[in-house]
Amino acid sequence: MTLALHLVAGVDFNTLPQQLVNGLLLGAIYALIALGYTMVYGVLRLINFAHGEVYMLGAYVALFVSYFMGFRPDATHPPQATILNLVIMLLASMVVCSIVGVCIERFAYRPMRSHSRIASLITAIGVSLLLQYGGALFLPNSPPPSISESVNPFHGQSKEFTLKGPSQDLVMLVEKAKPAKDQAQAAYQGWLTSHPNADIYNLPADGQALKEAQQSSTDIFNDAEHKVEAGGVHLIIQTGQAVMLVSTVVLMGILTYMVLFTRAGRAMRAVSHDFDSAALMGINVNNIVTFTFVLGSSLAGAGAMMTATFLGTPLTTFYGLAPGVKAFVAAVLGGIGNIPGAVLGGLLMGMAENMVVWAGYSNYRDAVAFLVLIIVLLFKPGGLMGSSKVEKV
Amino acid sequence: MRFWSIRLASVLIALGACVLLQALVGHASDYEQRIVVLVGLYITLSVSLNLINGITGQFSIGHAAFYQVGAYLTGYLTLNYFSKQPIHNMLLWVILMMFVGAIGAAVAGFIVGLPSLRLRGDYLAIVTLGFGEIIRITVQNQPAIGGSYGMNVTPKYQSVALVWLLAIICIAVCRNLLKTAHGLPFLSVREDEVASQAMGVNVTRVKVTAFLIGSAFAGAAGALLAHFEGFITPTTFGMDVSFIILTMVVLGGTGSITGSIFAAALLAYLPEYLRGLKGADGQPLMIPGSNVVAWLVAVAVAVTLTRLVMNKYSGDKLKKLALYLGAFALAVVSRFIAAFFLRMIPVMANKQIPIDQVRMVIFAVTLIVIMLLRPQGIFAHHEFSWSWVKGLFKRGEVPHSAVSA
Amino acid sequence: MSILELQAATIKFGGLIAVNEVSFKLEKGDLFGLIGPNGAGKTTCFNLITGVYKPTSGDIIFHGRQIQGTPPNRIAQLGICRTFQNIRLFPALSVLENVVVGGFLRHRTTLAGALLYLPSSLRETRRLKDEAMDYLKILDLDGVPNARAADLPYGMQRRLEIARAMATKPELLLLDEPAAGMNPQEKQDLMETVKRIRDDHGITILVIEHDMRFVMNLCERIVVLDHGEEIAHGPPEAIRNDPKVISAYLGEPV
Ligand SMILES: Nc1ncnc2c1ncn2[C@@H]1O[C@H](COP(=O)(O)OP(=O)(O)OP(=O)(O)O)[C@@H](O)[C@H]1O
Ligand SMILES: [Mg+2]
Repeated sequence: MTLALHLVAGVDFNTLPQQLVNGLLLGAIYALIALGYTMVYGVLRLINFAHGEVYMLGAYVALFVSYFMGFRPDATHPPQATILNLVIMLLASMVVCSIVGVCIERFAYRPMRSHSRIASLITAIGVSLLLQYGGALFLPNSPPPSISESVNPFHGQSKEFTLKGPSQDLVMLVEKAKPAKDQAQAAYQGWLTSHPNADIYNLPADGQALKEAQQSSTDIFNDAEHKVEAGGVHLIIQTGQAVMLVSTVVLMGILTYMVLFTRAGRAMRAVSHDFDSAALMGINVNNIVTFTFVLGSSLAGAGAMMTATFLGTPLTTFYGLAPGVKAFVAAVLGGIGNIPGAVLGGLLMGMAENMVVWAGYSNYRDAVAFLVLIIVLLFKPGGLMGSSKVEKV
Repeated sequence: MRFWSIRLASVLIALGACVLLQALVGHASDYEQRIVVLVGLYITLSVSLNLINGITGQFSIGHAAFYQVGAYLTGYLTLNYFSKQPIHNMLLWVILMMFVGAIGAAVAGFIVGLPSLRLRGDYLAIVTLGFGEIIRITVQNQPAIGGSYGMNVTPKYQSVALVWLLAIICIAVCRNLLKTAHGLPFLSVREDEVASQAMGVNVTRVKVTAFLIGSAFAGAAGALLAHFEGFITPTTFGMDVSFIILTMVVLGGTGSITGSIFAAALLAYLPEYLRGLKGADGQPLMIPGSNVVAWLVAVAVAVTLTRLVMNKYSGDKLKKLALYLGAFALAVVSRFIAAFFLRMIPVMANKQIPIDQVRMVIFAVTLIVIMLLRPQGIFAHHEFSWSWVKGLFKRGEVPHSAVSA
Repeated sequence: MSILELQAATIKFGGLIAVNEVSFKLEKGDLFGLIGPNGAGKTTCFNLITGVYKPTSGDIIFHGRQIQGTPPNRIAQLGICRTFQNIRLFPALSVLENVVVGGFLRHRTTLAGALLYLPSSLRETRRLKDEAMDYLKILDLDGVPNARAADLPYGMQRRLEIARAMATKPELLLLDEPAAGMNPQEKQDLMETVKRIRDDHGITILVIEHDMRFVMNLCERIVVLDHGEEIAHGPPEAIRNDPKVISAYLGEPV
């Protein structure tokens, strides 16, 4: 109990809604990446370690496309940004990532399919290292470039919501301070006009007293007004981020539709249920695996394009490392192989991370993902929505 | 009697070899000494992870965490208490620290081992990985031990002999385990937990024991690293280090001690060797970007062709060998063709890449290539022995599984 | 006193009552059969006895002592060992090593001694290996001690399971469909081997088997389960003519 008190002692509940919204946004991105991990795991039982690097490449594709369209950071007159530019970047990222994902599967994972799972895992680690370090040789990464803000048509736009106004006491304080300030100001100004030759840096005693009175009353007023501004609960949502959240939800909707209601999606679910039987039932598992990689990788590409554009994070070839690991943790948290689980896990992970930042432990934001995971797995070994199958003996 | 004399002799030989090694590299440059030490430490790390991962089958991929616990615990003790305690002999103190590091890491290993009682496979893997990250991030945020900047460990103590002695002990312990019946429960847990339990194996105890022993050795290695380098930072123990240790185990062949040793030596040496390569001007070697890509193309060609021969051709061994050689030759040719075309692309031709940056790429490529060509690891399940090597060259015979019925 | 007794043992998996109030008694030296159609709950009975599952209600008594809830490895130490219907050997280990794992629970050395490679642990290892060879001989597997278990043909794998279980020196041996997948000659040999295990080693045996000829010729007493319930109990002749049993098997000639 004392520990809990200690933990929350330094937090400011007025910033909580903002942090929750930030957590939601971050979580949505994690969820988008986690879907790729979970689907691939579902069909191949493989942890696709290179997924984070596919995400990284997606961000670079967005960068290059934005350069190509004339939004270089050094451009003096960048073209007027439109939504079309963003759509082109998004599609380009998705397409390139799909191709990369499919190639990785075809050339690195498929030959390993008949071998032990740990061998595939090592191959995946190898591919991931190759993309990180090999990419670093040729992609611009130092100094880390970032996508120019000028490509974002919503740049600088935001909407502020006031959830709760400042407290009445504060408002009263301002109302009281204002006449005092005005009065002192008028008195000082009056004195100054009556002594036109006075040197304001070296006033006689009476002038100096008036000046100080004017200053201190102004300070009190400014301070009170500042408190009123900070006192309420506000929520600032950048338009770009709102667009990002909506797009993420739309993409997830499309994915759900594809998985639940298309032939390929149904086949994918069959393969993920039982790979060998599905093959025997005449499903072309290779096509389904390719389909899965296309879906997962294009979601990663979309996520990367959006984070790189709207959050303006600088790019290095390690751009995918942290989000990749966290998204994977999110997938495991939700129950790996389970699609709604990945979304739930991603959102939880994003929230947890921002809660830790909010509580003033931002240095530990990378550790909290794992802490949550370990705690959850100890109580639910199959993840939140996964089934922990009891082995039949 | 005979037994004990052999035992005494082997212990003496081990000690002697370590002292000899120390004498041999004593005059070498710091850089060379460091390579010898790193190889020894990585052997300890990979052989101890092999116990958990390869022999007991518990998919732990956060071994660097134990390494880190050993290093930081003993580094802290040395920094703060060495001058205040009665042992003023640095050798004895470092030996003591090896034990302390081992115990500290074993406690951590015990804590990480507990989830292994409930979790399997990938789930356990991610938990061990996460545990490593939690330790690293926690260390990073403790100003008392240097935070993310790192911690000085003074006085330093650079002993090649101790490092290799630890490696030998670690190897000996694992080998002894496998040579006696006590190793079988570990192997059987890897093979089938339910059946093991039905045969009276205390699966819980076996798993926790594997974690205890494995992490203890990693902790002792950490202690030696801290005192050798005299300076440790949290990044020395990141996820990539865990992956490298895991790679050594798998590359050597999971479960094979000799495989782990071989792969550890190779993978610890290779990057350091590449780092040390110098160009004609004495500066670190630079390679044109086009050549790097051309080599990658060559490797891809070689791997593809080799796999083709491996899977499609089942004929005379000599002809097969010839085909492999042909594949190799084609790969070399393709390297030059690729280089020719790539040089026309200005980005590739003009870019000079220091070899130091290429080493992780080489590392990654080695991993992928070995997995594609020999997924069971270099030594597979086997231990290196002459009879096994001979078996490899006998025609059409599979070593060790001559089933009669 | 009986060696093993089930008293109204019951287990439910969600809504399914896999074993429902089953009670029977095994005397020392019995060769006891447990039969019933597919899904009758026979294997589940074994899982209850060996501690894989804990009964929802009822008691399992071994030598006058309740053993339900005891972990499987403890039960093996108490002297009950089993084979598995879906063979569960240690595939990458050799035939001999598989059997040594079975014998290991009666070892007498410490792990520390093994890590130090003390002579005592070497002696113990040699002793376990010799013993394992004896069990391999009994099951006629002594020709292939160094083969990988996974490389053995099916019939041999089934026999290896029995050898491994015997190596734990059980008082009570549970065999789950030991003859499944064997040809008539192999079945005949197996039947004799099982009889010998009981006669020469004094091990009480409880066997599940679908092959009626095998069970009727081998066992002295039989319990029949159907849908988790015990429907008949008695010597083979009585079972053979029991109308309930016949109808449970849907008129299949017995
Ligand atoms: N762990 C479990 N969870 C849920 N149901 C189970 C479990 N184990 C067994 N069952 C169910 O209990 C019933 C009895 O199974 P059991 O394996 O005991 O049958 P059996 O008599 O051995 O059949 P067979 O002759 O086919 O081996 C079956 O319907 C089975 O599906
Ligand atoms: Mg059964």
